[in-house]
Amino acid sequence: MLLGAAGLLALAACGTTKKAADQNVKAVGYGTLPAQSGTPKSGGTMTFAQSPGADPNWIFPITPGANSSVYIAYQFQQLSWRPLYWSPKGSSPQIDDALSLAAEPAKSADGKTFTIKLNGQYKWSDGQPVTAQDILIFIDIYRAAVKEAPSNVGNFTPGQFPENVTAATAVDQNTVSLTFDKVYNPQWVFLTQIGQIVPLPSHAWAITKTGGQQVDFSDPANAKAIYDYFVTQSKDLKSYATNPLWQMVDGPFKISMYNANTGATNFVANPAYTGPNKPHIAEVDQLAYTSTTAEFNDLRSGKLDVGFVDSSDLPQVPALQKQGYNVYGLPAFGFNYIAFNFKDTTGHWDAIVKQLYVRQALAHLQNEPAVVHGLFKDAAAESYGTIPAVPASPFAPANAKENPYPYSIDAAKKLLTSHGWTVNPGGTTTCTSAGSGPNQCGDGIPAGTPLSFNIVYTNDPAVVGQQVEAIASAAKQVGITITTVPKTFNFIIQNYGVPSAPANNDKWAAEDFGGFSQGLYPTSNNLFNTGGSFNLGGYSDPMMDQLISNSINGTDPQAVQKEAAYVTQQLPGIFQPNNDRVWAWKNTISGPPDGFANLTQFVMTPEMWYFKQ
Amino acid sequence: MTRYLIRRTLTAIVVLIGIAFAIFTLLHVIAPSPGRAALGVRATPQAVHNYNQAHGYLKPFLVQFLDYLNQLLHGDLGFSFVLNQSVTAILGERAPLSAFLSGTSVALAILIAIPLGIYQAVKRNSIGDTVATVVAFTLYSTPVFLFGVLLIQIFVFNLGWVDANVPQSQTLSGALADFKDIILPIVALTATNVATYSRFQRSSALDVLAQDYIRVARAKGLSARLVLSRHLVRNAALPMVTLVGLSIPALLAGNLLIEALFNINGLGLLFVNSLQRQDFQVLLAYTLIGAVLVVVGNFIADIALMITDPRIRLV
Repeated sequence: MLLGAAGLLALAACGTTKKAADQNVKAVGYGTLPAQSGTPKSGGTMTFAQSPGADPNWIFPITPGANSSVYIAYQFQQLSWRPLYWSPKGSSPQIDDALSLAAEPAKSADGKTFTIKLNGQYKWSDGQPVTAQDILIFIDIYRAAVKEAPSNVGNFTPGQFPENVTAATAVDQNTVSLTFDKVYNPQWVFLTQIGQIVPLPSHAWAITKTGGQQVDFSDPANAKAIYDYFVTQSKDLKSYATNPLWQMVDGPFKISMYNANTGATNFVANPAYTGPNKPHIAEVDQLAYTSTTAEFNDLRSGKLDVGFVDSSDLPQVPALQKQGYNVYGLPAFGFNYIAFNFKDTTGHWDAIVKQLYVRQALAHLQNEPAVVHGLFKDAAAESYGTIPAVPASPFAPANAKENPYPYSIDAAKKLLTSHGWTVNPGGTTTCTSAGSGPNQCGDGIPAGTPLSFNIVYTNDPAVVGQQVEAIASAAKQVGITITTVPKTFNFIIQNYGVPSAPANNDKWAAEDFGGFSQGLYPTSNNLFNTGGSFNLGGYSDPMMDQLISNSINGTDPQAVQKEAAYVTQQLPGIFQPNNDRVWAWKNTISGPPDGFANLTQFVMTPEMWYFKQ
Repeated sequence: MTRYLIRRTLTAIVVLIGIAFAIFTLLHVIAPSPGRAALGVRATPQAVHNYNQAHGYLKPFLVQFLDYLNQLLHGDLGFSFVLNQSVTAILGERAPLSAFLSGTSVALAILIAIPLGIYQAVKRNSIGDTVATVVAFTLYSTPVFLFGVLLIQIFVFNLGWVDANVPQSQTLSGALADFKDIILPIVALTATNVATYSRFQRSSALDVLAQDYIRVARAKGLSARLVLSRHLVRNAALPMVTLVGLSIPALLAGNLLIEALFNINGLGLLFVNSLQRQDFQVLLAYTLIGAVLVVVGNFIADIALMITDPRIRLV
């Protein structure tokens, strides 16, 4: 999932907010995450702000690529249909066993079969239990959907789930056995493959037309017909609140109003909900906004119970707190980076950037603490690789916590001079010792080659450009000329990527379009392995390929950490700070801290919230 | 007159096809792969290819254009795969409120600007004229977004009279049901329009006042009131007719900044968001309808001019 312009990065404001130091629960993040307090009051309507431009417009839990935003999947569908395995756990990207419908799957001795056992805690709103058949129908419909068109499911990767499932059978009413085509890393299977499953009510949804008879969904033709029928229903936005199909839920809330124009919704508590955290509140009003300004005006006027604080509004946080709001923020799990293009031959850039010492020198030119403080006004966290230290995750490598390439003009200069470059601060640094020896510039870099390249960056949000300009400015101090080129986000992703637009390989040396969010199993597969489908810069390193392969096909439980540590060390791009996603909620509301911390990870669990008596 | 109408209609059809072709071409140049925009960076090239193929974006350009024209002739504006709705439904949901806001503000602006401009012309260089000029220039030079923010600060946060945002229902009836919350965006839009129109009206009236027939009317002994009502107002308002006719497309265009500020899910925002998402079908329909309104607006202005000014004959 891409976190583009308005996602992971956000414009830092110019106020005087400061990092929380106290704190009731956590010492990292922006603001304070208060402890649970007060006595829950039953009932009431809570107002919640949707992000502008994130109108939920797909209700069926098998979501096409074009509608597959995190907001739709997590903040809309999951209120009604619970994924088999719930994540995150608070702000931490990991499975929360207490909120899941099944225990962690058991692996067979040959490593190919995984057995999922439902915990029997969940029932559908008509009182029927969630069963093994509800898992199987999901797999069969998913299979039919991607067979029809791979883009029918946003999470689908060809060759992977469910195509790599050779057998799916119900062992008993609560147990499902899935056999995969080969042995994969069990964590990868659990977190990225099985983790996609969302049980669907097979006793009610195995139909191909309104009022139709139940059909055998294991028949591929029937599964396709079911899928086609539900797609038709999901396209009928105006019927979301009235269609009986969408009232058959196992989650804590069900939809009661949907505005097809704005995407505003109202959910009411599901009285038949049997899972943990029975809702205290009666309704959740998800209000729609056309801009962050409009949303913040509602926060200021007290109309919103729970809303986000855009980075441009951070200077007003003290006023918000005085008004009676709790404010807390943390980065979403992911990373931002300037991707190098290893295929750009302009000025021998491909040969230059291939040299690790050059990439290290460039990394030393980024002043992350200054960016966090100056540009993000402390509402961000430093990050040095694909798995950041914040938010805390089970896969963060040891070198995620301390910058291996801290800001140092001298260190950058030393790396260059020790490798055959004559550094000319303020001027042009050139290679004066060509060759592949240890003290020479490196293979393919002729003597006299100037160290100069371009960085194409997205023009929105402005903070991306500000970070790029800061690096360009620092680079000038060691005689590196960086030409900065602003483009629109869409232009960059459509035109500057080695796998998707190879004809333009010589038009960009590096690019900064934002970054990526990470899944629960944060491997760099497809991103930094040779020939990866979104290996934007064409990076290729046999060691990296092996480590990534271990993460997917090996058995080492530490494989992802090792891979991530290597990424941090090898720098296929310059990794950048991640901005906090800041939320505010009235102090008349409380609940378990995890129920508010998870807002920073695009998840909402209003069943955990309550108005205090 | 009939021949004129037929000729104008035929010309309009040719113009519209030309505009449709130009917009279609431009969109294909700036957005060669809608699949990439829809599916994101992480989509495989194959997935993007499949998406583009499924939605007809891989067909030859002219075939795509002819398909689109065929679709239009069948009254189908297309389907937005991003918003998961038909384009007709999307426009139908958003147009009424946008048109109401624009229409109301234009109407109010005319009602205020015409008498104000004429007053300023008649009382040229008086204190009233000077004050009105200062206010008009201030409003004219104040960005509408800033003016809106000021209105919100005063009337929402300081006085607490109204809400900052229009009601969430976002239908015209929903907005009108809670009318006080739609006053601020109307005021913001009207004020900007008044500033523009009144200056226009003032200079038009000054031109008319300098005409011989005004002098003759006065020499004949007509009272100032009669000179004003019979000769000045009607003639000085003629340029306003053209101005209003050209304002009709604004009913569609919406008002991006005001919509963003006051939480109005209108057409202006729809266009910008569609541009960012490269939502082809919405963009095409929007620009095409905009072109229709421009043609219609000009046409109405011509007819209105003919009615208000008997010297003009349409042939």
